Amino acid sequence: MIRKAVWGGAALACVVGSSALYAQSESTIVTVVKVTGETWFKRMEEGVKEFDSNTPSIAASQTGPAKADAAQQQRLIEDLVAKKVTAIAVVPMDPSSLEGVFKRAMDRGIKVITHEADTQKNTLADIEAFDNKAFGARLNERMAKCMGESGKWTSFVGSLGSLTHVQWADGGAENAKKYSNMTLVDAKNESFNDANNAYQKAKEILRKHPDIKGFQGGSAIDVIGIGRAVEEAGLQDKTCVVGLGLPQDSGKYLESGAVDGIGFWDPKDAGIVMNKVAQLVVEGKPITDGMNLGVKGYEKVSVKKGAGAGVIITGEAWVDVDKSNYKQYPF
Amino acid sequence: MEVLVKRAFSDGQLNFLVGVNILVLACAAVLTGADFLDPYNLQSMASQIPELGLLAIGVMLAMISGNGGIDLSGIALANLSAVVAGLLVPGLVAPDEAPQLYAVVFCAVALTVGLLGGLLNSVLIAIVGLTPILCTLGTQLLFTGMAVALTNGSGVRIDGAGFLETLGYENILNVPWSFALFAVIALAIGAWMRFSPNGVRLFLMGTNARAAQYAGVPRIRMLMMVYTISGVLASVAGIVIAARTSSAKWDYGSSYVLIAILIVVMAGVRPEGGYGRMICLVLSATALQILSSTFNFLDISNFFRDCAWGLLLLLFLASSRIDLRMFWSQAPHKGGTATRPPL
Repeated sequence: MIRKAVWGGAALACVVGSSALYAQSESTIVTVVKVTGETWFKRMEEGVKEFDSNTPSIAASQTGPAKADAAQQQRLIEDLVAKKVTAIAVVPMDPSSLEGVFKRAMDRGIKVITHEADTQKNTLADIEAFDNKAFGARLNERMAKCMGESGKWTSFVGSLGSLTHVQWADGGAENAKKYSNMTLVDAKNESFNDANNAYQKAKEILRKHPDIKGFQGGSAIDVIGIGRAVEEAGLQDKTCVVGLGLPQDSGKYLESGAVDGIGFWDPKDAGIVMNKVAQLVVEGKPITDGMNLGVKGYEKVSVKKGAGAGVIITGEAWVDVDKSNYKQYPF
Repeated sequence: MEVLVKRAFSDGQLNFLVGVNILVLACAAVLTGADFLDPYNLQSMASQIPELGLLAIGVMLAMISGNGGIDLSGIALANLSAVVAGLLVPGLVAPDEAPQLYAVVFCAVALTVGLLGGLLNSVLIAIVGLTPILCTLGTQLLFTGMAVALTNGSGVRIDGAGFLETLGYENILNVPWSFALFAVIALAIGAWMRFSPNGVRLFLMGTNARAAQYAGVPRIRMLMMVYTISGVLASVAGIVIAARTSSAKWDYGSSYVLIAILIVVMAGVRPEGGYGRMICLVLSATALQILSSTFNFLDISNFFRDCAWGLLLLLFLASSRIDLRMFWSQAPHKGGTATRPPL
């Protein structure tokens, strides 16, 4: 029994001893991401930290589960609700599995803000970086300019089940109708979020349509797979590849010219905006259509009713990146 | 009297777990302030225990049965039963019109799926003779795959109507219903293990399978019972998850398999079989939950939590192997074998 007590004491000393005492300030806003440690969410944390240091009245921090598991995220939020933080800003793994805990949070007077969850019912405000159709049109417009507004083009999606990807492809197709010389062939190829699948599909398309001039990517890895196929075929200068992508991952193909441009939204800005909106809600200030949230791309947000009692706030926060400026974004 | 007191404190593992619970709670209260002992937080922690606790009971039963027994398919079966019930039942009973009937049918369907899944495991292990770890790994993939195929990978929204809402959100005598349900199940299975003839046979079989066979313990029937109970418990966990999250999804709780095993090992259940106590399992689950909530209160990185759990597990395992008394006391050990606590 003594030895057990000693071992147990040792274990607890290691575990609890390494935790620091914390001081609670007036308002606390905790940002909960899908998983800690991913580049995307590290970039978001930069935004949360920036907000924290610019806003002395509020203690803002970011946390998230070590594994991308909806259950772990839910337990984490459950504890934050018990701790009674002032507001939580969540990027849900799976919006539906968090409805229960969000309801409990709001019953307890905690303000709930979400990001990338426009189907969420129990939230006060959901923040979307942009309107998906408009983002698709934007990508397509860049591709159209690159290919001289004429020729064959095709679009990729992660899967037909990914609503946002399909909206981007449709938005692109709508935009391309402006140009009578552009023809869409074999639209919405599914890459299943796998760069290798995207590569195989792109190779097939290059064989079937040797004169193809444009590719519009959907999933963030589509441009990587397409870029590889284009590079192998030596068509860097004859094709235009534009799609969602991350600067660091796509950098190699941007350099070689196989990928001509990528678009994305900056998670750092999304982190700041989530906290700003949380602050507005905590202070009881209204969020109105067309208001300026003071972050680039969110200067004139559109506000409409969400799935539940809350609102959906949509910005125009896409970032256009090409060979010249991708190095500015370290993620 | 003295004998009774001695008997009550004779289980080192139990004393240890009680001590750990008190110590963690005390540390948490000191470090995070009075908020931690707020009734809301105690209820919140209690309501987080059942999902994992029910899965851990299944793993414990499988482990006690010996011969490398384990059940890895628990959370997959829990998700599958909630998914099947969530897809099927709204078509049979409208949750708005007959909420109680809806909840009853929901539970019946989920439990049936759990029973069938448990039977599949038990047939494969007891009759076909597959190794439990490989068999349940296979069925885990099968159950997960079925849940993905049924839903195309997206979540199923579940109406928390009738007593499902009570189970997910309400308290009885200040105790969350889900925790009360878990406590009743743990008590029932604990009593079954300790007092029923089958419970005694289970321990005998786990201690020495061959001797048990010669003593007339029906091995196949016992194994079938263990894995079927485990399957049904998984579906109860599925119902609790569905009630608390109002949804069911194939990949919910993908980290639960390992945490359930951690709870079981921390409870002192012998991985070789033949020993394990329900009270220790419950205390092990509560200790882990309090520790986990403490980390969230203190805003400690979740990576550190994994590291801390691994450390805790190793120390628990080491504590049963290394005898520290050797280092500071020359007192003679008495017997050594008498340290095994009663069942």
